Amino acid sequence: MKRKGFRFYFKIYCKILAQDLKSKMSYRADFIISTIGMIFTNISGFVSFWILFRNFPQIKGWDYYEMLFLYGFSLISITPVQCFFDNNWSLRQYVYSGDFIKYCFRPINLFFYYQSEVFDVKGLGQLAFGIGTLVYAWIKIGLGFTPLMLLKITVFLLTASLIMIALQNAAAATCFWIQNSFYVLDLAYRFRDYAKYPITIFSPVFRFVFTFVMPIAFIAYYPSLVVLRPDTVPVLSWLSPLIGIAFFYVSYRIWMFGAMKYSGTGS
Amino acid sequence: MSAIIEIKNITKEFKVLNRREGLKGSLKDLFSRDYKIVRAVDNISMTIEQGEIVGYLGPNGAGKSTTIKMMTGVLEPTSGEILVDGNIPYQNRTKNAQKIGVVFGQRSQLWWALPLVESFKLLRDIYQIPGKDYEEMLALYRSLVDIEPLLHKPVRQMSLGQRTLSDILAAFLHNPKIVFLDEPTIGLDVSMKAKIRTLIHALNQEKHTTVILTTHDMGDVDALCRRIVIIDKGKMLYDNDIEHLKRFFGSYRTLKIRVAGDLSEQADKIQKEVPECSVSADEEWISVLVDEDKAGVMEVLGKLQKTHRIRDMQLEEISTEEVIKKIYEEGVK
Repeated sequence: MKRKGFRFYFKIYCKILAQDLKSKMSYRADFIISTIGMIFTNISGFVSFWILFRNFPQIKGWDYYEMLFLYGFSLISITPVQCFFDNNWSLRQYVYSGDFIKYCFRPINLFFYYQSEVFDVKGLGQLAFGIGTLVYAWIKIGLGFTPLMLLKITVFLLTASLIMIALQNAAAATCFWIQNSFYVLDLAYRFRDYAKYPITIFSPVFRFVFTFVMPIAFIAYYPSLVVLRPDTVPVLSWLSPLIGIAFFYVSYRIWMFGAMKYSGTGS
Repeated sequence: MSAIIEIKNITKEFKVLNRREGLKGSLKDLFSRDYKIVRAVDNISMTIEQGEIVGYLGPNGAGKSTTIKMMTGVLEPTSGEILVDGNIPYQNRTKNAQKIGVVFGQRSQLWWALPLVESFKLLRDIYQIPGKDYEEMLALYRSLVDIEPLLHKPVRQMSLGQRTLSDILAAFLHNPKIVFLDEPTIGLDVSMKAKIRTLIHALNQEKHTTVILTTHDMGDVDALCRRIVIIDKGKMLYDNDIEHLKRFFGSYRTLKIRVAGDLSEQADKIQKEVPECSVSADEEWISVLVDEDKAGVMEVLGKLQKTHRIRDMQLEEISTEEVIKKIYEEGVK
């Protein structure tokens, strides 16, 4: 048996993905309706954002386009979690019904195998929205463009995605211990709305919580500062890639720990 | 022959909450927890040789699934040792997974939306099956069952029988040393059951695969297993040839009679008349299980003839089903 490295997993993932897309395309109505739904969700989010800024031209020194930048940034950074880790939402049912056991018998990484099963195409539309918004805000702010900036924004977008993924993994994994983990997952999901705002608008207590307990400030705020306010970047911003990786790793271990102690239901 | 599974004195205990009754009880449970230890598997040992088909039997809740989960590496035994092809399953779950195949009768492990052949291709990559072996296996499958109509059908659209068949084929695909089949024929019609039994038998013969079969269907046992292991309440009751077991109950005969009137009502009456036998009824026959060491069949028949008009009768050797039933009820003395 050959060692299963990155290339092995990458190949398997691509094959599963290709099959999954093929079977999804065969349900045309399903595909179209969910795409329309995605578009409307994003438009309504955008409209409420716009109405807010009709009334308050500035929030704590952040103007409309800077906020739009944050908004676009957070939309992009939640795309990977939506596309690749959407099966976390079903984990609870699998564990509760005992069907989760079927994932335990394959000679590949359990976490990988479980997450590979679902790819959510809707995330791609969201990605397009996010990129559009970000580019628009970028031009309007007049940030200019250098390859270094592109590198920075890419690294920090990846960081932000990792944190979002980690948050969801950890929240989903709670179902290995408690029955009603849906609320935990839902809570984590709703919290990401706060990621769209600069953390300075919150009270010190929430600032602390969103930085150190539920690190959603790292989803958009801290990473964005690197591009938006290059003169006053706090240390936390530079640390965020490390925090992202560390947090993702911890959430993966928690998930795996739960999965390994899973014993199934009677049959 | 060499041992493929070695189990020495394994025990598995679970900590379960003693739940109190009613809403008030539930509230109390929230604050003061009262656990008890339940021993699901209690000191079981066995050795299984490569190529054997072993029937693993026991009533519901006997600890069968728990044992299987320990052999597949999902659960860690509380104490004792398990070696599956030289590996400790729980510690080398991935390595173990490469050598085993698992089928749960009611839970498909295939990709729900994919046609069977695509699932097979993914499994080929996951298990890293060499191309030649894969083609050979497919050729073997083609010679054993009519898989062409299944190959291009999404698993989701299959009937339960087709799905079970597909799951079994998928479990054997990487030519594992051991295949665990947990109630593979549950809920299937008679002809599908027969098909699946033939398939399992053929694959066992062809590939020398060890098969551990749990089932409640004695038809499966009669068709496939020479050796059976019976457990109940976590303890091993029996581990030997099925023939040996039948000899053990050799003095038993089943007297089948048909009388006028409602059969189950009559069966209750007959039970009272011959308390030394166990009486049951189905749609056609009343079965009287007679232990000839205690009372002769003719004696019982004579007794019944006085009180009932017997229209028809048959005499049979004890069936596997009845043997197992007796063991569940009384154990091997």
